[in-house]
Amino acid sequence: MKTSDSSLDRIQRALEGLLSTEEHDALKADVIRDADLRAVYVEQVWLHSTLRAQSESLVGLLDITEEASPIQAPAKPLRRWPIALWSAAAAACVTLAASFFMPGKGVSPLPQVATLIRAENCRWAGSDLPTALDSQLGTGKLALVEGIATLKFKSGATVTMEAPTTLEILTAMHCRLIEGTLTAEVPEPAHGFTIDTPDIQVVDLGTKFGVTAGSAGNSQVRVFEGEVEIGGLKDGKIKRLTEGKGLHVGSGNTLLGQEPTRGEAVQEAGGWTAIPTSFGRGKDGYARRGDNGAPMGTHPLIIVKHTDLAPGIKNERRAVITFDLSQIPTESVQEAQIVLDPEPSGFGFSALIPDESRFALYGVTDEKLDAWEEKQMTWATMPGCNDAGPDADKLRKLAEFWIPRGGSGGPLTVRGDELAKFIREDTNGFVSFVIVRETGETDPSGLAHAFAAKEHPTARAPLLRLK
Amino acid sequence: MAALPPDPADQTETYLRLLTQHDRWLAAYVYSLVASAADADDILQEVKVTLWKQFAKFEPDSNFRAWARKIATHQILNYRRSEKKRSVSSSLDETFIEAVAAELDQRADALDLKAEALNLCLRKLPEAHRKIVVWRYYEDCGIEEIAVKSERTVEAVYRLLSRIRQVLSECVNRQIAPAP
Repeated sequence: MKTSDSSLDRIQRALEGLLSTEEHDALKADVIRDADLRAVYVEQVWLHSTLRAQSESLVGLLDITEEASPIQAPAKPLRRWPIALWSAAAAACVTLAASFFMPGKGVSPLPQVATLIRAENCRWAGSDLPTALDSQLGTGKLALVEGIATLKFKSGATVTMEAPTTLEILTAMHCRLIEGTLTAEVPEPAHGFTIDTPDIQVVDLGTKFGVTAGSAGNSQVRVFEGEVEIGGLKDGKIKRLTEGKGLHVGSGNTLLGQEPTRGEAVQEAGGWTAIPTSFGRGKDGYARRGDNGAPMGTHPLIIVKHTDLAPGIKNERRAVITFDLSQIPTESVQEAQIVLDPEPSGFGFSALIPDESRFALYGVTDEKLDAWEEKQMTWATMPGCNDAGPDADKLRKLAEFWIPRGGSGGPLTVRGDELAKFIREDTNGFVSFVIVRETGETDPSGLAHAFAAKEHPTARAPLLRLK
Repeated sequence: MAALPPDPADQTETYLRLLTQHDRWLAAYVYSLVASAADADDILQEVKVTLWKQFAKFEPDSNFRAWARKIATHQILNYRRSEKKRSVSSSLDETFIEAVAAELDQRADALDLKAEALNLCLRKLPEAHRKIVVWRYYEDCGIEEIAVKSERTVEAVYRLLSRIRQVLSECVNRQIAPAP
């Protein structure tokens, strides 16, 4: 017998009391009128009712598990209670459920919920969980600074973390992505596997998907296969994403774009002087082709991305940083370094870019261009750039650097004789640099690399170190 | 010749034997026709009382189920009528219950086979799904409570339950299909 999925869905919703009175009445009318629908209805309702009717025998189902379940069924509540007691029973259900998941109060010892099954080039930050390969993991936090690590949950779900990522394991069906990027593969028994980010809740409905959470309050989900459900959205709605679809949520849950108190140039040991972009009239920012939400000069991150894919794709991003050297005697500089703090952008997935990404650092040779304004700079007015890329008449390539997939592990230092020479040539007390990524991506959802800007609430602003 | 009045002790025993034999079927029948679990429990209780009161009228060799079905359907319709009436839909409700009851009667044998196959199919479910079934049907938790217990959203629990019932339904149909 042929019934549409939507008819089946209506019936199932009726069984769970999820239909409004009007919808339920409409279903009843259709069941009366349509013999085929009536047959399906009776089959479904009979199954549901038989399960209800023979509920006493169901508890035996839990005894056939090979593995001792940490959750014991509570004593069967007495049936045929007066109606007034039903709501009390429902409340009791909730209370019992809560106590099962309450660490320390639980009826069982803290369960092992996952195993660390793969760790490539991993470096971990101080973590309250073991990080050796094949470690059994309970609940707690994992902070991956470098590399790629894979966890296999007892529910069957597999989660791969790409550094830098901080993840909190809550249960075998639930974890919280505090910051960073992960991809998840969830087989059928683990459907419903849930990942929280600061902005949203991603519930698997049978799928492979990726989630990122940026340090600047944005989250992105991309479904590679199957389907996921997004909850926790501001409008209270639940969104469903199917294969190939993505969703980006910028909730700004993290402090956004505060102009920092202007920093000092710092004298360091060994004759080095460190100048952040927050010093004097320094500045930093980025622009994106298409200028969605521009200008981005006061954003907590500077984001760079490059794509060789279709030219219509608007996800090319370049950054500009300017240091105020007016207090510094530049002509005697011997060595120079630029230090950048990589931060998760919350945009895109490492899995969709090549193993290693090459970046270029350009010095802005046309000094008039040092006068760019953070609150006005757009894609078209980026110092020394045109739509196609850096303009050789106004910029000079000073250095290249590489970031492996899975992060560079901490601050990134760009150095070289060309850089020092460029500083010595300065005449107006400002030096500006353009940062571009030269490596493309295999998919428009490839990772957008990001570094902390001076507006970042916790990480360090771009730094020019001179000696 | 007039029938002898039945021996009360015998009658009690017969009633209990028949009721035990058909208890689950009767419950499933009433539950099928009444959406609310609490109402269904009350009605089922009433049906059993009525069956007992009228048991004297039951002819020992006739079909207990057909008799019980008639009483149960009648009881359900009475209950509906005595409820605070939603004037718009009470006639809809009656027609609906009668239509579904007729369908249940017509398919009674097939459904009995399915109820038997169901136990086998339940045991084939993955552990996580069996747990959901136990929560939903043994502990009488609604999907909201299950959402809390399993740390899923209500919608995800609904989807999962639908899928589990669908899997069970397909399994049951395979079980009772004649061998090829």
